[in-house]
Amino acid sequence: MVLVLALGDLHIPHRAPDLPAKFKSMLVPGKIQHIICTGNLCIKEVHDYLKSLCPDMHIARGEYDEDSRYPETKTLTIGQFKLGLCHGHQVIPWGDLDSLAMLQRQLDVDILVTGHTHQFKAYKHEGGVVINPGSATGAYSSITYDANPSFVLMDIDGLRVVVYVYELIDGEVKVDKIDFKKTATASH
Amino acid sequence: MEFKTRDYDAEEASHSLPRLQTDFHPLVVQSPLEQVDIPLPKKVDLYDPLRASDADFAVSVAEGKDVEYVSIRGSSNETVLQLSAKEWASFKRSLMQKFSVAKTISISSMSDVIVKSGKEHEKPPTRIHLEELDDPQKDAEAGVKIITRQEYVSRLHELKDEICRAWQAEDRVTALKLSIKVARLLMDTSVLQFYPTVFVLVTDVLDMLGDMVWERIKRRAEYADDGTMICSLPDDFKASDVSFDAKETCNNWFCKIGSIRELLPRIYLELAIFCCWRFLHDRPWENLKRLVMMMRGLADPLASAYCHLYLARCSQKLPPHDIGYLITCINAVKVRIILGRESMNGNSSEDRKMSVSLFEPAIGWIIKCLLKDTDQMRLGDVLVKLGLRANETNSSVESPCISIVLHHLLKELPSEVVSSNALEFMQLIECSKDYSFDQYLNYMLLGLKLCERIPLMEAVDAILVKIFQVVAQYDGLNEYLKVVDAYLDIILHYKVGDYLTIILDGISDRACNKGVAESELDSLQSIFIKLLSHFDNLNDVLALNHFVEILDVMYGSSRNIVNMHILNKATRSGYIRDPTTMQLLFQVSQALHDGIYFSSIKDDDSQQPLHLISRFVQMVDFGAEMEHHLTFLVECRGAFGSTNELKETLVHSSNYLAVKAMKDAKKHDSFLKSCIAFSEVTIPSISVTIRQMNLYLEAAEVALLGGLVSHTDGLIDSAISCLQSLEVTNGSRTPVDLDGIISSVRKLCSLLIMIPGNPECGATYIPRNVLSIISSQSWITRRLKIRTFCAVISLSTTLSQHKLPYHANSREIVGNDLLFFYEPSYYQELLSFSSSVVQNLLDEVKQEPNQAARGSLALEACNCIISSFKANQEIVPICSKLIEIANSCLHTNNRYLHSTVNYLEKYFITSTTEVPAVTT
Amino acid sequence: MSIELKLSRSNRIYRPSEPLEGKIITNFPSSINHQGIRLTATGTVNLQVRGGAAGAIESFYGVVKPISIMNRKVEVRSSGKLGSGATEIPFSMTLKQRGQDNSEPFYETFHGANISIQYLITVDINRGYLHKSLSATMEFIIESEKCNLLEAPLSPEMVSFYITQDTQKHPLLPELRSGGFRVKGKISTYCSLLDSITGELTVEASSVPIRSIDIHLNRMESVLVGEMVITETSIIQTTQIADGDVCRNMTLPIYIIPPRLLTCPTVLADPFSIEFEVSIVVTFWSELSKLHPNSDPKIPRLWLAMETISLTFVRTECDW
Repeated sequence: MVLVLALGDLHIPHRAPDLPAKFKSMLVPGKIQHIICTGNLCIKEVHDYLKSLCPDMHIARGEYDEDSRYPETKTLTIGQFKLGLCHGHQVIPWGDLDSLAMLQRQLDVDILVTGHTHQFKAYKHEGGVVINPGSATGAYSSITYDANPSFVLMDIDGLRVVVYVYELIDGEVKVDKIDFKKTATASH
Repeated sequence: MEFKTRDYDAEEASHSLPRLQTDFHPLVVQSPLEQVDIPLPKKVDLYDPLRASDADFAVSVAEGKDVEYVSIRGSSNETVLQLSAKEWASFKRSLMQKFSVAKTISISSMSDVIVKSGKEHEKPPTRIHLEELDDPQKDAEAGVKIITRQEYVSRLHELKDEICRAWQAEDRVTALKLSIKVARLLMDTSVLQFYPTVFVLVTDVLDMLGDMVWERIKRRAEYADDGTMICSLPDDFKASDVSFDAKETCNNWFCKIGSIRELLPRIYLELAIFCCWRFLHDRPWENLKRLVMMMRGLADPLASAYCHLYLARCSQKLPPHDIGYLITCINAVKVRIILGRESMNGNSSEDRKMSVSLFEPAIGWIIKCLLKDTDQMRLGDVLVKLGLRANETNSSVESPCISIVLHHLLKELPSEVVSSNALEFMQLIECSKDYSFDQYLNYMLLGLKLCERIPLMEAVDAILVKIFQVVAQYDGLNEYLKVVDAYLDIILHYKVGDYLTIILDGISDRACNKGVAESELDSLQSIFIKLLSHFDNLNDVLALNHFVEILDVMYGSSRNIVNMHILNKATRSGYIRDPTTMQLLFQVSQALHDGIYFSSIKDDDSQQPLHLISRFVQMVDFGAEMEHHLTFLVECRGAFGSTNELKETLVHSSNYLAVKAMKDAKKHDSFLKSCIAFSEVTIPSISVTIRQMNLYLEAAEVALLGGLVSHTDGLIDSAISCLQSLEVTNGSRTPVDLDGIISSVRKLCSLLIMIPGNPECGATYIPRNVLSIISSQSWITRRLKIRTFCAVISLSTTLSQHKLPYHANSREIVGNDLLFFYEPSYYQELLSFSSSVVQNLLDEVKQEPNQAARGSLALEACNCIISSFKANQEIVPICSKLIEIANSCLHTNNRYLHSTVNYLEKYFITSTTEVPAVTT
Repeated sequence: MSIELKLSRSNRIYRPSEPLEGKIITNFPSSINHQGIRLTATGTVNLQVRGGAAGAIESFYGVVKPISIMNRKVEVRSSGKLGSGATEIPFSMTLKQRGQDNSEPFYETFHGANISIQYLITVDINRGYLHKSLSATMEFIIESEKCNLLEAPLSPEMVSFYITQDTQKHPLLPELRSGGFRVKGKISTYCSLLDSITGELTVEASSVPIRSIDIHLNRMESVLVGEMVITETSIIQTTQIADGDVCRNMTLPIYIIPPRLLTCPTVLADPFSIEFEVSIVVTFWSELSKLHPNSDPKIPRLWLAMETISLTFVRTECDW
């Protein structure tokens, strides 16, 4: 069982002073094995904070990231799964399933994680699974200023993934669960 | 051609994975104990006073402690040896660095081995006769020669090589004779500041000889003459394990060395091969006592001190044993300092300080060796023997304590020992006031040691009462600061009494009238940083008496560092809302900013303060007083306008302010417009064009959120015009990353989906404009061009839909889907534009010269076309052509190729059954 | 064609009562006939007198008749044939014959300036008149009989000494005479050759700064020539124990390792004697000394104070 924290679009401090305190108290070092971050952190302190939660961190670049060395896209393999990472502002139109599927084919990944829309989404299509963890701070987005802070925790166990969605709604953390298995068509 | 029709809502509904609420999840907080709030990491590469690079002795305390008290009793002898060898190596390095020397050295002719006439130099070393070596009567003052430091050093390296060569040529007599000559160099102490360097160089040679002799005798013990192995000596062998032959060889070496006439080289040589006593005796260290006694014959204090030092070093190579003789060593060196004081009465204190500084490393090292193996039980004994503590039987202290000995003792003792005997040490410091070391520095060191292991409250009270009596007497700010700084951690730890007030009053009395010398700034800085990190809230620090007043007398880099700590503290604890604090921080930021602006600080060094200023600006919050906030931003632009990072921050802040105003629902268009205008005015002064473009896009998004269509249009125009002025390489700097630019162009396309088209200019006005600008850029690559083509194709397809995937979050803005609802010319324009782009796309792909790139670009283009158009007689051949290109360029196992082909097959089947939505 | 001797001990040290063992190694390209292989062991005291410090007159120069300690011949092989290639012929010969208390005792091997005590072993292969006989010679070293050795360590027999301006027979610097000085100490006078000469020395007072304190180890070789005893004294080792103006009233150790090849147990024989002494020399700082940079240290000078003490060297059991 491997825990992968996926989050992004924090926009600290431009659009939010910090992560919500309720999220911070849940995120303690030592629990998480990997962090994948869709970008727009935006400053180094946030990077350092995430790194303190888990040193194995993978980041794709958002357009407002201070550190321009993050790559546009990134792929990594965790257990039986190949994961792809991209911020998502490059996707036309933003959050579009067809366009994301196209990117997924290009990156050749089972799970594609993107952000930018600041809305949690999880889709399944022929090519695999697409997840958008939303904005961890609930920052305003290109489309809306009403975004709930959210992030995702993936529990990868063999061919099975349980995605936990953490969403802060009216000051309370609501946790949802999504369960999926790697199917034969999506497998390598 | 025909655009594919999309029903975004239906697709989302059918593909979304179902969400189930759950109470159990991996981050579930199990017990309240675990509920730890993890703040952002506190340390942000800020200047750390303890790691200052100046050779302050406080530094060595901090550095040394990692290795000093490693328990070595349990570990194997080998690792102990390695550890001590490493320590010795670093000690030698520091010794050579510590004493800066003039470039030339005058040396007496005694050191003739260094100054060789050309003729002598030609003489092969084997022919140097013994008589030449035994010529002690040469008068030291006869002929003084001048030689450069470099020559001296390289000559010694040559000698080392010569010795090595002679040894390898089985000419051991020559090797020994040369080594004796080298050792004799240490008799000349007139080189003073250069002596430590000579010591290092000479002992290097001697250590090498010692190792070679050791190996040779060991080999004789382990192997017969014909090379067959007799036995293998274990690490902890006994003398009885050693063969008679080996013993005889060993004894011969000691006899040869015993025949050296002069005392100093004889002692050094015996020390060099001292380990070899192990072949003869099981308790070799007993001979060390004799050597220590023999050193009494060395009248020169400097020669004697370093000789004792070498003994301490060589004794480390022996198995663990009683090291009481080291106490004799320290006392011997001490006696010479006392005597030196008497004989140097006439000399200036400057000279005396210098001579003490030459002794100091030797004392330090010997004490380190002494204390390394001294356990708590024996410590009292050591103190008595060093004359520091009165004996029970003899209540008077035998010999006066020397402050420098006390200093090193304090430095090397484990902090728990110092801590539990703090008052006694305090008393010892009080009693030892002599020229060899400044008393206040010992008080300071005691403080630093106590901070490592803070004593119990009762003891602390007495200590602080005492120390504040002492510092109250200090007129000088420097002494005052150094001592007070050392005890500050203890004071803060127990939060005792009014000491903070006393300290700040004390500093204020001493500093505010006379000003602060540069050397005092460091201590002041350290005190301020301790105060700042102690208090959770910046306001508590600012409320301290005189804090701001003292801050004002600081200047230079220390002031900047303290300012940075203040800002750091201020920005770590959430929003800044208090107007007084805000005002102070603004001034602090201004001082910091001006400090950078007016001094020629390197770019890298100015990053941190600028970053902190940005953080401050970001953390300021006027709550509902948004107009004030905007005014504040305007002020900041005026005050800190010279830096890019800050201007970016200001734009982000004003954009955020606008969004906040919208959320507040009391949305005033005029305020929104002010914010947008602020951004619009600020962005052009940012020097990096791509950042300008991204900020224009953000401002456009915000304007769109606020329903300000015309502002949005203007900002988008500005963003596009940035593309025109993009400088791909900023002079010699790293090239701007092109992928980032294209990503931003693609973002622009996605943004355009929400922007109402201008019927006068046509639906494709902006994409056309973007395409033409991009294509005309000198830096554009084929890959980027293709990606841009794909972007406008995707954009056109999306715009052609009857219902757009997303709309502006404002009722005032009508989406193109409504604006051009079933407007044939609109679709027609999109389609004709797209089909020409498709043609260009295909051409560009074909022209790509790099095979692998051509293959993957073909796939990218193909994917874009499939997801944008319906499969028909126009599209299918294009896709087939692209797949054909990809097939010819890529490996057959390429997974991107496979997935695209699979997708294409499905697409052909489904598309043909659908009714065309729009026909050309 | 080679012949060599190889002794059983690599250090070649034997005691008179021990058999001298080893082998004769021959290496011939073809076999040879011989008329016997003989070993000869000799021990001789060679004495010579040279003009020198003693101021002996010219006629004394020359070699005094050597004294034979031993001369033993043994035939290891009677006449026969030695094969080609390497041949090893082991031998063992007694040095001191029982009951035969002929003349001289087995003195220890010694090579001095005037006296040399040497033991040699020679092998001869006699090949008749037609061929040159083959031979090889090797020195072996004689040390005192084990049963005669004293057990180490020796009981410390210390002699105290004082050096003051009053103990000096030669003139001193005026400042020294008037201001005075006092050095005291003690030193062992009955010493093992394998051990150090130990003792201690304290400078109690000195009106002139001390430059150095050295201890000369002197060797006196005396030879009886006719009715006269000619003695040659040589400094065989100088050991500095104080370098510079040392602290007053601080005891300095004396630690001298006797030089191996230059010493032997003290010998007092009729025709010759080998004796030792130490000179403790205190050198004071003096401008005058610079005028005589390389003077003979044995000659008393204004800036030197000295004291000489005779020593007896004995051989003890090796304690390692």
